[in-house]
Amino acid sequence: MTLANLLAIQRLLAFSATPEGVQRLLAAAVRNLADAQLAQLSAENRFDAAYKCIMQCAMLGLWAQGYRTSTSQPGHHQTALQALPLTMGLPNDIIIVLDALRKQRNLNDYEGDPISDAVVSECLAQAQALLAHTRKFLQTQFPDLLATSKKN
Amino acid sequence: MLTDLLFGAYRKKVLGLLLLHPDTDYHVRELARQTGTAPGTLHKELARLATAGLLLRKAQGNQVRYQANQQCPVYPELAGLLRKTTGAAELLADVLAPLQPTLACIFGSVASGTETATSDVDLLVIGDIGFADLVRATHPVQAELGREINPVVYSVPELQRRVQAQDPFVMDLLRNPKIFLTGTEHDLSQLTGHTASAGV
Repeated sequence: MTLANLLAIQRLLAFSATPEGVQRLLAAAVRNLADAQLAQLSAENRFDAAYKCIMQCAMLGLWAQGYRTSTSQPGHHQTALQALPLTMGLPNDIIIVLDALRKQRNLNDYEGDPISDAVVSECLAQAQALLAHTRKFLQTQFPDLLATSKKN
Repeated sequence: MLTDLLFGAYRKKVLGLLLLHPDTDYHVRELARQTGTAPGTLHKELARLATAGLLLRKAQGNQVRYQANQQCPVYPELAGLLRKTTGAAELLADVLAPLQPTLACIFGSVASGTETATSDVDLLVIGDIGFADLVRATHPVQAELGREINPVVYSVPELQRRVQAQDPFVMDLLRNPKIFLTGTEHDLSQLTGHTASAGV
């Protein structure tokens, strides 16, 4: 499956992100990662914040390549994660883990299953790694999106 | 495996498929394909199991279909034996072994035999094991089972903390049926300080 195929079946939409938009989303991902490390929060909320950071990084990958997910389609989180090898060259080995974290989120949100310590620490580690990867990816492949336009 | 010894590898596969899907009837060729056996020998084998009352034989036109006979007096015991030794339990026990868990068991609908076509396999693993390692180890089994695996991993202290706090998820898990892959019911009650069916 290519990004163009995902566009054809309307799992993705064409989207032209602005540098301001990209920088705003990147800043939100950074804030979420910081919140995920607040020891006074519950395991559930730390997990949620780290997961949000992961999802925002996945969106940044899509935006940079000229796409966004179609939020009116079911499973847009899954689509965003599964696009990561295509957008930012992530290995499948990582996608398996990110997708398992997505399922944990569903079980926690909709059935109240608790989030274990192991899941919080894995989600945090994955968010940290993915945010660092996203930054580097944008800096090297799409530096224009990170440029500040404060000329006048 | 124990059931290979009791039934023979090939009879175990056929019985595992039929007795664990008692609402489905199968054509011989279908059974042969799903269990990787030769239809020729399977014909005789199935006829014998039907004569013994363990299977129902149904002629549909010129097709013969087989289904588990739930009225057979030993059906519940045999199905229980196969549930514990074939399918999810056998595959998961194999992939978990290298992680050396303190304890591992299947819980939820698959353990209680109330699963539907879309049920997940709920897996509890106790030990100092990372979530990513557990996910990577169990991931290939999902395709083989045609079911998603929902892994839950706790260290021994976290399990004990949750029992002490009467965490509803963990208390529910302790009360309900489990299929043990590593360790026993006794080992689990040693870890938690609770006996299996204790109302406390």
